[in-house]
Amino acid sequence: MNGTGEIDFENLKPEEFERYLPDLFATGDGKVSQDPRLKKFLDTYPDCAALVSDLETIAETARSLLEPAEDPSDKVWNNIQSKLREEAVESSPEQGKHLAGDPQSPQ
Amino acid sequence: MNCEGQLMTQVPPAKLNPGLFKRNPPIAGEAEAIEAAKNGDPEAFSKLYSLHKRRVYTLCLRMLGNVSEAEDMTQEAFLHLFRKLGSFRGESAFSTWLHRLTVNLVLMHLRKKGLNLVSLEETINPSEEDAPKRDFGRHDPILAGSVDRVALERAVASLPPGYRMVFVLHDVEGFEHNEIATMLECSTGNSKSQLHKARLRLRELLRGNLPPQPDVAPEAAQ
Repeated sequence: MNGTGEIDFENLKPEEFERYLPDLFATGDGKVSQDPRLKKFLDTYPDCAALVSDLETIAETARSLLEPAEDPSDKVWNNIQSKLREEAVESSPEQGKHLAGDPQSPQ
Repeated sequence: MNCEGQLMTQVPPAKLNPGLFKRNPPIAGEAEAIEAAKNGDPEAFSKLYSLHKRRVYTLCLRMLGNVSEAEDMTQEAFLHLFRKLGSFRGESAFSTWLHRLTVNLVLMHLRKKGLNLVSLEETINPSEEDAPKRDFGRHDPILAGSVDRVALERAVASLPPGYRMVFVLHDVEGFEHNEIATMLECSTGNSKSQLHKARLRLRELLRGNLPPQPDVAPEAAQ
């Protein structure tokens, strides 16, 4: 992996650009398309500009995936309660009756 | 050093990523529920489960790509939470803390699973023909500045495990390369490289230029 400090932006070629791209994305805010040092290069090589645009789009859309999308089945909570009851009973039989709470699923 | 090494099970503690912290704001009533749960209040623990089950499960599903395993790991994460809750000091957002706890458990699970670890190593250091193809000089249609969220979910689920892991940890969950490098016991350069290859692979998948992985469980793409 190369650092970005050694890049000759004035004479950059697509093959070199590809090599540096992981580092370019990792520096700053990852907005390679808005890096003024690369403007001339990206204007000259539209395929490289298209690649950068696509990878930025993927990264931006990925951030929206942080929002949780799926619920686990009720089985998961039931299993958690059962396990906690078992553990509680092993350590303190009286406490075990109460520790894991009501067996119904939480709201 | 490459990422071929074994997965570590410890995410760096207390080394907060401000971006991640910002993405995990406190939830109303959560602090009270945490304190009550620490004192053994079952209702409070139930509330914590309700508040965080989706986030934990979705994280497990994305990292593992398999519903059954994701449910098992969700269960393990909350059992672990119950046992470890007393050690939560509020130095980071609770969701961040739980999130890291879950990532650690999933990584430990993968390390225990010999077969998955092998496939992870293979994709962490793929052969040349397995690596995404270079795009320069081609004139295929581009993604036109937008990607359907569902299509991306499907594409991520069909990534090889090593690519998927780094992509989910960095682009979805917001971990920094140095954190990922610590978790996966590889160099930051390798983490950057794997992320880049994952994005290239996703680009090809989203443009329909690559078939999905044949070994992906069908439910993972749902």
